[in-house]
Amino acid sequence: MAYPHDQVLSITSRRDVLRGLGLLTAGSMLAACGVPTGSDKPAALGSSAAPSAGTDVRGQVTLWMRDDDLLKVFRTVVPAFNAKYPNVKVDLKGVDINTKLPPALISGAGLPDGSFWEDDQIGQHGEHLYDLTALMAKYRDDTIQFKLDVLTQDGRLIGVPWDTDPGLLYYNDAVLSGAGVDPASLTSYDALLDAARAIKAKNPKARPIPLEQDDTLGMMWYTMFLNQQQGHGLVDPSGNLTLDGEASRRALTWIKTVVDEGLGARQKFASTAQITMLDEQIISLVPWAIWFIFIPQSGLKKTTGQWRVANLPAWTQGGARSGLMGGSSFVIPAKAKNPELAWLFYEFAVYDPEGYRKVFSKNSVYPTGLNTVVPSVKSALDPAKPLVERLPQLGGVDNWAISTKAALDIPAGYTAPTWYGQAAKYLGANLQRLMDGKMSVDEVISRSTADIKKNLIDRN
Amino acid sequence: MSLLANRAAPRQVAALPKRGRRGPRTGWRGPLLVAPFFVFFAAFGAYPLYYALQLSFIDWHGGATYRWVGLGNYTYLLTNPDFWGALGNSAIIWLLIVPAQTIGAIVAAGALSRAKLRFKRLLRTAVIVPYVTPLAAMAQAFVLIFDRDYGVVNHLLGLAGLPSVEWLTSTGWSKVTIALLVLWKSSGFALIIMLAAIQGIPGEVYEAAALDGAGPVRTFWSVTVPLMRHAIAFFVVISTLGISQMFLEPYVLTGGGPYNSSTTTGLYLFQHIGASDLGTGAANTFLLVIMVLGLSLAAVRVFRESR
Repeated sequence: MAYPHDQVLSITSRRDVLRGLGLLTAGSMLAACGVPTGSDKPAALGSSAAPSAGTDVRGQVTLWMRDDDLLKVFRTVVPAFNAKYPNVKVDLKGVDINTKLPPALISGAGLPDGSFWEDDQIGQHGEHLYDLTALMAKYRDDTIQFKLDVLTQDGRLIGVPWDTDPGLLYYNDAVLSGAGVDPASLTSYDALLDAARAIKAKNPKARPIPLEQDDTLGMMWYTMFLNQQQGHGLVDPSGNLTLDGEASRRALTWIKTVVDEGLGARQKFASTAQITMLDEQIISLVPWAIWFIFIPQSGLKKTTGQWRVANLPAWTQGGARSGLMGGSSFVIPAKAKNPELAWLFYEFAVYDPEGYRKVFSKNSVYPTGLNTVVPSVKSALDPAKPLVERLPQLGGVDNWAISTKAALDIPAGYTAPTWYGQAAKYLGANLQRLMDGKMSVDEVISRSTADIKKNLIDRN
Repeated sequence: MSLLANRAAPRQVAALPKRGRRGPRTGWRGPLLVAPFFVFFAAFGAYPLYYALQLSFIDWHGGATYRWVGLGNYTYLLTNPDFWGALGNSAIIWLLIVPAQTIGAIVAAGALSRAKLRFKRLLRTAVIVPYVTPLAAMAQAFVLIFDRDYGVVNHLLGLAGLPSVEWLTSTGWSKVTIALLVLWKSSGFALIIMLAAIQGIPGEVYEAAALDGAGPVRTFWSVTVPLMRHAIAFFVVISTLGISQMFLEPYVLTGGGPYNSSTTTGLYLFQHIGASDLGTGAANTFLLVIMVLGLSLAAVRVFRESR
């Protein structure tokens, strides 16, 4: 019995294969100098792009969004945008942005006119994006500072700030009451540890504080602690690593204490395991990003209505009660066909009160309003004019006032290094070791610093 | 002309084309007919390969600027513990999958090809079902089934008085869980290959073995298995290629963790490409190609020499 592959293997000898590879390699090395054909930094998208009247504007604009609830929300904005710009056809497409946008930006093929993107992904592709500094000038004072910091690269503002994701403290009020802990006392991370100890004393099965098992999310959690204490994150304004700083050691030591005293539950965010632990009152103290709010709203059965939200505890006396964990913006590719139209849509959705009210106020997707994030526009963050409604799942607390205060209190000065996402392989993995009790604070710092320097900083 | 006359007519033998020194003349039709293949191959096969090889000699993150690094990307990878770690993880997963799957498929194919086996059709269908089930969906199901705290597998272990296993969150067991998913998913494919091979063995060979007094076990190991060596070689090579490119299974099950302990070569490659580190990604690709090509040629040689 003979198979075609045998014939192929016998026809193509090993020598032929090696010879072919050798020729290919030699040819490539000779020609490699001319591989990427790039251009200089793209020109800024100027303020002259703004038309005098909405009816003057015509054309079609293609905008990419993540294929999720947010896409549906933004589709509800289009009619209001078209009322202002009736001759613009908006095509909002749901796309796996992290997979599709980078190759589109590099090749210039199949590009949208604008796209949603996570803040920590934007920096490494800044050369392919329009500089929006001039267009954004009139909105700078009305924008949360840290969003401007995150989106500024070499003096160029390369995105329209979309959402702000402050950290908040979610807690199970019934569990705290049962353990005799006053929620108002949770103003410091030491107090949070004391509360966790009291809960565990009452219920030995409890592991009140979640310890994230995903490398990237675990690193984001730790970065929130850094931002909360020092403004900047993994790097200071000079680009130096801050892993060996006071803020980092304080955060890592706190995590280590949670581990050593058995106060932490190992699980992944929004996993079945986490939801079960929340519902069984094993987890009851969750310092996490604002978007944890969707779990009490939709994931819990037994403990729905027991949860409450407050501002984060502070690391030091009088320290910040807020920090960032996530965030995203809109970018306009430098090779977009209709960048002006993309800008007009984003300007409407983000800065025009009619636009952002349409996005955040209750709609068919979010019956009580979009409460998993808050706007980056200061004038939209008025505690007296809530864009979202209070939730019975959170006991009717004023989550809008708490969230907006947290957004405004995020310490300024944060920048995401272009290699941030890749650091999860080193720092993220070492944080996991710490949370599994397999690495000390000093080891996390020294090994992560060495790995990041060798593999990311020195190679970028 | 009657049918009879037609039958009686001598067979016309088509005149053979005159052969010149360069073989039969086909004019322009031959090259024209094969041209589409070469055009497509050049555009979507050879050129991307050539371009990727060029990329492997530069440091380029997709921006306007790039830097010639010669063999820098290759030396970076070859001296990087993470690269060898991923290779080691893939090798362990290979060891967990390929020998067991190959032997299992041969034995199962032998059993399924037996004429007296009951429910043969049902069994054949049953083993193929996992192969046609979407991998991503099954990987997600495995996440639930093998969850440390609430998974059904640990629940059953608990009922049997056995301790829980950290299937997805320990450095050792995470690779085992990935191997279990692959075994579950692709054993049907292995069986198809082996079944096709076993059914291609002429019956006369078995009759001769029976005349020589060989029993069923002796016949299986001395007749069936040696005559399946081409299929076995094919399957081992295909499996090696598949495991070297394995991405989705660790991506969904473990994310490559804990601590990169289940990061396979395919996932490691994706991490470079995903971070737009295109030069290192391209170099990684060619290192894998060379290694897998070497392993595949070695496997083919082993099976060829065992004739």
